[in-house]
Amino acid sequence: MSIVELHNVRKAYDTKIAVHGLSFKIEPGTMFGLLGPNGSGKTSSIRMMIGITVPDSGTVSLFGQPFDRSQLIRVGYLPEERGLYKKMNVLDQLVFLGQLHGLDAATAKKRSLIWCERMEITEAIPKKTEELSKGMQQKIQFIASLLHEPDLIIMDEPFSGLDPVNATLLQDTLVDLRKEGKAVLFSTHRMDQVEKLCDEIALIANGHLLLSGSMREVKSTYPRNRVQVVFEGSDAFLKHPAIEEAKNYSGHAEIKLAPSSDLAAASNAVLAEALTGARISRFEVMEPTLEEIFIERVTAQNAANANANGVAHV
Amino acid sequence: MSSVQPSFFHNTWLIAKREYVERIRAKSFIVMTVLIPALMGGLTFAMNYATGKNAKSDVNLAIVTQDSRFGLDLQQELAKHKHPKITANVLSPQGGGADTRLTLEGELKSKDLDGYLWVTPPVSEHAAPTFEWKTRARGYINTQNELSESIRTVLTRQGLAHTGMGANDVEALMQPIDLDASVASKDSASSGEAVAFGLFFIMYFVILFYGMNVARSIIEEKTSRIFEVLLATIRPEEMMAGKVLGVGSVGLTQVGIWLLGAIALSAPGLISLGDDFAFHITARQGIFFVVFFFLGYTLYSGMAAALGAMTSSEQELQQMNIFLMLPLIACSGVVFTVVSDPSGTVAKVFSFIPFCTPLIMYVRIAVSQPPWYEIAISIAGLVLTIAAILWFAARIYRVGILMYGKKPNLPELLRWLKYS
Repeated sequence: MSIVELHNVRKAYDTKIAVHGLSFKIEPGTMFGLLGPNGSGKTSSIRMMIGITVPDSGTVSLFGQPFDRSQLIRVGYLPEERGLYKKMNVLDQLVFLGQLHGLDAATAKKRSLIWCERMEITEAIPKKTEELSKGMQQKIQFIASLLHEPDLIIMDEPFSGLDPVNATLLQDTLVDLRKEGKAVLFSTHRMDQVEKLCDEIALIANGHLLLSGSMREVKSTYPRNRVQVVFEGSDAFLKHPAIEEAKNYSGHAEIKLAPSSDLAAASNAVLAEALTGARISRFEVMEPTLEEIFIERVTAQNAANANANGVAHV
Repeated sequence: MSSVQPSFFHNTWLIAKREYVERIRAKSFIVMTVLIPALMGGLTFAMNYATGKNAKSDVNLAIVTQDSRFGLDLQQELAKHKHPKITANVLSPQGGGADTRLTLEGELKSKDLDGYLWVTPPVSEHAAPTFEWKTRARGYINTQNELSESIRTVLTRQGLAHTGMGANDVEALMQPIDLDASVASKDSASSGEAVAFGLFFIMYFVILFYGMNVARSIIEEKTSRIFEVLLATIRPEEMMAGKVLGVGSVGLTQVGIWLLGAIALSAPGLISLGDDFAFHITARQGIFFVVFFFLGYTLYSGMAAALGAMTSSEQELQQMNIFLMLPLIACSGVVFTVVSDPSGTVAKVFSFIPFCTPLIMYVRIAVSQPPWYEIAISIAGLVLTIAAILWFAARIYRVGILMYGKKPNLPELLRWLKYS
């Protein structure tokens, strides 16, 4: 049973189509990354999953059933921008939001206190929300979306505005929740986080699904034509003909090999060349990073769109 | 679907409760609750004091008449008044009257005299004399009542004596009838009018103030994006209903505190504000106040909710506020006409315009007894309008609340109504 299933979902606003025939599934116990540039339709898609808006066509299913508002009690949602009552006391706020998700006041209070401890913000409990730092507010919002122990956790840009220590705390919490069998969907621009955390991804741009699948599947469709080299000494080897493009960040080079039927041979040739003039401390051949895939696919799609528009104008 | 229905009330209740508790706790609520009656009370007291002083100070006047017996009788009669004390000199007109008038006008200017009564003798035997009352300042117009009352007494007494009645009988007949005077219907009517005005303005301000509060708090939630969290579990209708009920209860609480305070203050033995200032609210006035306040508030806060959902900042809202204020301003424009003629055309027409019904029909009920079917029709029209406004507002709310930055134009608004 999929936790979320979008089937051919379409949503148009007055002037533009936000989502074109989008389909994907999220299984229990997976961390799902919804990726895409700004304005690509991530938030529009999420809003349809939780019934804030209704798709023009296509279907949304939650927990194996057609969408129904009564299922929302099993969903935890963290919106992209902070949505908290500024003047309200933190604990009152958490209890209120917990109650809206069907908890009684006592349970909501008990869980709030436990979560505040886990998120290391016990000192914020008696304060008003507006007195807190942005990061702290983000943690409150994070707790509010989890109090009712949802089976589906949807986080729109959960790590924005957090320092590395707190971002890690939230990441670890999400990993723990996935281990408990919850499905976690999060949208982000931060590809390094996705690469580290996600089992499955979907990349959308301009409302279209560009690619989706497990992280391994997605990556395996790309050739292992990237080489990372950490070295000391001459950088002359970066001029090797097998290299299509190279960036050197003072002793840390990122290389893209020219297309070839035998990439392994090409990378070996580069390594041999490098060893003649430099001391190599690391040499790694790999698939493109998710970030590179992202940029490549989105750029290609934009170009295709521009062409399509150009044709339309003629 | 069965689990959705009960949660409507649950969610609405939670939203309303939060709205209520947070607002009642806010400093601004306490300040408003104390400050407004203090201001209004202070103002009323000051006005009462200022006008009261004029009316209650002694009046010194002159009676100009050729009939000295009438003059002396009237002088005696006027001397009976205690509030204010009236002293009168009797003069007979000199030099065809012109000289006397000149002298008296001079005395009025120099404030030696507060006013004079000029009596022109009757043209024929059976006609009554004519009277002219000139005063130094408007405040002495009040003395007019005492004056005409005394004149009537004197004339009646003379008339009775003329028919041959004995002086003792006349005196017995002309005994002042204290009891009747103090409960005279005119007095209670004017106090009823005062209460009607008072309640009218309380309703006016509370509806306007709390209606705008609904709009403002919707905008606040839009800018803080809290609604996005809320909409992920509850429906826009629940949010709107909760907000309207919560904010409205705050308004009722505030009015309740004011009314209880007013009753406590005017209770005997505490603070006496004087007989004129007694604040008697009848059960009828009270019940209809609650009914019309509730209906009026629901109507206007529904409109305010739609305005709040359509706009995205306080400034924009202020431009739209005119839609809320216009009908209310129209009501306060006609309220004086309605009070003085509660079953006149103006009163009838305005009490059937749904946007004016809560205020104008209420005032009519407070000062008169409109036929029951008129009340029923006006309430029915109001309830239908409220249903339409809430339906409209809920639609606007659902779509409008997710839009930012741009004020919708009319075609967009119409399209919003079609979204589910």
